[in-house]
Amino acid sequence: MIKRIVDWIDERTHVRDLYREQMVEYKVPKNLTFPYVFGVLALITFAIQIISGIILIMYYKPVIAHAFDSANYTIMREISFGWLFRHIHAAGANFFLAIVYLHMFTGIYYNAYKKPRELVWIVGWVIYFVLLVTALTGYLLPWGQLSYWGTVVTTEIPASLADAPILKGLFGAIGETISIWMKGGYKLEDLALGRFFGLHVLLLPLILLALVSIHLFLVRAAGISNPEGYEIDKKNEPEKVAPFHPYMTLKEGAFAMWYLAIFFFFVFFYMHHFLPADNFEPADPLKTPPHIAPEWYLLGFYEVFRSIPSKFWGFVAFNLILVLLLLLPFLDFSPVKSARRRPLFFIMFLVFLFSSMALTVLGTMAPTPTNAKLGMFFTALVFLFFLSLPVISFLEWGWYKARGGRA
Amino acid sequence: MSTWGLVKTVFFTAVTVIFFFIIWIHNPFAPHEEYELPDEAEKIIGDPKVAIEGRELFKQNCTSCHSLRYDGIYLMSVTAKPEWSAIEKAHGKPILEEKDGKIQVRGYFVPRDVYEAVAQADLQNLKASFGKIPPDLSTMYLARGAGYLYNFIMDPQKILPGTSMPKLFYPEYDKEAPQKVAKIVAYMRSVNEPPPGEKAKRTLMGIVTIGYFIAMGALLWIYRKRLLAKMGY
Repeated sequence: MIKRIVDWIDERTHVRDLYREQMVEYKVPKNLTFPYVFGVLALITFAIQIISGIILIMYYKPVIAHAFDSANYTIMREISFGWLFRHIHAAGANFFLAIVYLHMFTGIYYNAYKKPRELVWIVGWVIYFVLLVTALTGYLLPWGQLSYWGTVVTTEIPASLADAPILKGLFGAIGETISIWMKGGYKLEDLALGRFFGLHVLLLPLILLALVSIHLFLVRAAGISNPEGYEIDKKNEPEKVAPFHPYMTLKEGAFAMWYLAIFFFFVFFYMHHFLPADNFEPADPLKTPPHIAPEWYLLGFYEVFRSIPSKFWGFVAFNLILVLLLLLPFLDFSPVKSARRRPLFFIMFLVFLFSSMALTVLGTMAPTPTNAKLGMFFTALVFLFFLSLPVISFLEWGWYKARGGRA
Repeated sequence: MSTWGLVKTVFFTAVTVIFFFIIWIHNPFAPHEEYELPDEAEKIIGDPKVAIEGRELFKQNCTSCHSLRYDGIYLMSVTAKPEWSAIEKAHGKPILEEKDGKIQVRGYFVPRDVYEAVAQADLQNLKASFGKIPPDLSTMYLARGAGYLYNFIMDPQKILPGTSMPKLFYPEYDKEAPQKVAKIVAYMRSVNEPPPGEKAKRTLMGIVTIGYFIAMGALLWIYRKRLLAKMGY
């Protein structure tokens, strides 16, 4: 009976052909390393976020009189397993960003952004950016002290740029207007909460869904990259590839299960970090908490912003890092791929990795003059990484030519 | 895997694990305050049975200024209003508890806007006396922790100099003062933590879920090994 139904569908949609082409006949390199699993893990976390988010949206009220209580009373106490879904959603947000960062560093390490995969990287960057905005908007919704003051600081960045050298007049004139436009008024109130809610639950997830689909399509279209950094000729080197299903799906499936085990360890037993204590105090516009710092996934950018003495140049610096990340495929034009075969790039990758981590950890520390100096030092190292890429590429073009065009 | 490959794998794994340990689990660099809790107080706060007594102490000592809406406790001056019990029933949701096998209403959870509208004059009076409206204490245990609350109630000026919160418990005159404070904190804890039975259920659920995923991962891995051997990879 089931077979007949599937036959009926297959005759009209050719799903069996699609399955055979995309799952079995689609070949992937055999030598893919463990970090290649992060893409699938990110996809799983995205699904977790959407499912738990749908449950939460049923009980959450986007009105400032009720927002805090609907999160902490209705969801945490009244609804059966409401606590579980809130824990999943809060931990999921952190895991999502963590996995996305790991995925990005993997991509940089194996140079997965190079020809023919530039578009994969660019769309991935847009996903990352939209994800940050989604995280920021979602952070306001519980309407606690951290939510409120975190958003106040973020929305007032445009108004604080009046120390810009030439653009002083411009920022003085429009800075505050932009800030008010983002907040929906001079104060963060129902208008802002409603906007952030709408963006967080409807528009941004839809954009993410579309972008993730395009990203996956592009990965399939360009073919998956390779840790060794050369393109495998699937026809002439059949010993180096394996069918996507079951070779790859089962491997990634097993890793995904173990990832979920770690994820649920945090959900059930360790939520102190993902539901920070300060956010269990309802938002109070008259009381600024002593430590306002963004969530860990923004701390690197935050540290760049705050360690540079001028607000304007701090703003320029952290936006420049984002833009340079976007332009990575064009900064690094070397024909050689993968850090495995590029010693100079490997060293600069380590510099970049450690500077990003150091900036994040510095962001959690008290803003002392020493820490600001350290912050500027590591910011300089991050820029050094991006600036070194064209130089390394230039050298490697020379070596590539000298070896007669062989990598 | 070559030696160099092994070195890189171990190195990158260690760096990732250490990084996430620092930012998610224990950050020795971030500034944080520690409040000492005497052993006796810790024992009382950890005992869920004390909560009933703590609730009465809370009602007697704290409700002239503070409400605890998540457990149906409101300002004394508000609950004394003749219309309050009708408002509670009309706008609030009953908070149920099980006592001697019977389910009964412990109080009502009244939405914030309704409560603040009814208590407008009382809250403004408090603001006039203290400079700010004393906060609702529903989630204060989660926000500040047992150590802070115990030390703060024992001596508010020591923990937060300049605060308008008065000192209510004097160990010099009342030998039981430290126990009373601990019982109040124990009550605030009981409001914010699931009861012991529920907690045990959640722990069990967590262990089963984690066990399930570890086992499924292992099964998939074994299945893949066998399948690939059959296919000749």
